[in-house]
Amino acid sequence: MYSRELDGKTYTFGVSGKLWRDALLMYDHQTRSLWSHITGEAIKGPLTGKRLKPLASMPQIAWKAWQLNYPNARVLSVPTRDGMRENRRQDVYADYHASQRAGVSGMEYTDNRLPNKSLVIGVQVQTKDGDTQFRAYPLTHFTETAVINDTLGEVPLLIFHDKKSFATAVFKRNVAGDAWTFRHQDRYFVEDNTGTRWNLVTGEAISGKNEGKRLERLPAVNIYWFAWARYYPETSIYR
Amino acid sequence: MKHYTPIFILLLFVTLCATAADYTDDAIRTLLPFDAIPAITDPQFVSANDAKLDADAPVIGVTFNDESHAYSLYLLNGHEIVNDVVGGLKIATTW
Repeated sequence: MYSRELDGKTYTFGVSGKLWRDALLMYDHQTRSLWSHITGEAIKGPLTGKRLKPLASMPQIAWKAWQLNYPNARVLSVPTRDGMRENRRQDVYADYHASQRAGVSGMEYTDNRLPNKSLVIGVQVQTKDGDTQFRAYPLTHFTETAVINDTLGEVPLLIFHDKKSFATAVFKRNVAGDAWTFRHQDRYFVEDNTGTRWNLVTGEAISGKNEGKRLERLPAVNIYWFAWARYYPETSIYR
Repeated sequence: MKHYTPIFILLLFVTLCATAADYTDDAIRTLLPFDAIPAITDPQFVSANDAKLDADAPVIGVTFNDESHAYSLYLLNGHEIVNDVVGGLKIATTW
């Protein structure tokens, strides 16, 4: 998810029908530059080298869990032959997800550190010296707990994945200089080392010493390992 | 035999280059014409109560400035991009 504003201008985006490194290229209607939807960077056209600002979102969550936390949410509705629809019954890519096949171009790119089709949470943070550090968190780490307390590029991170709702979120573990350590309680609720209870769908402290505080959410993706590793080969893996 | 050695080396070189290209191939491949997959530029919404979505349907959720939107992933398969405005922020939701 990206901001459509760049250098004071607003852009709208379409699907170019082209692939780069086995993933979709978007194009902007204003200049017809081609943009990677993985990195947010323009790779061809007048805006080459420009980068869209990534925005934090919930990359996936079961509808009921989202609705419980955001009862006023509005839901995308699309006109179809059968009228307006908020959903399709089936995932048209179900076969692809179930297969061992990696890229759609038939080209095999492999970083053997993990199986190609392992799902990971991909995180990137800027360090103080302006570098970017990348880390992949395999979803297999989230079978016994829903949270990982980690530090990447000196940024204390809270990685959250609830296997039931498939909710994924990454937060900074510190607010105004205080860093906390979190442990899983139930579903998407966690407790920090002050005894405060937090809801990690919303990122808000709901009771305890830190009640009313909110964690800063960082951009994160649920992505296949082969794709993450192809775009960011320097990535580390949380073990 | 000696006569063929340079050709053999050349072929080997070309093969090695092709193999290396498999792993660093940055070519842009055209699969479909522009807009064959129609991105959404004027999104329409219904309220959470009116939405016909199964409880476990996967959605992308976004919240800015107390405004929240949800997009069914299965719907997004057919559009890939939604040009949207949430809480005053102009965003592109991509899938």
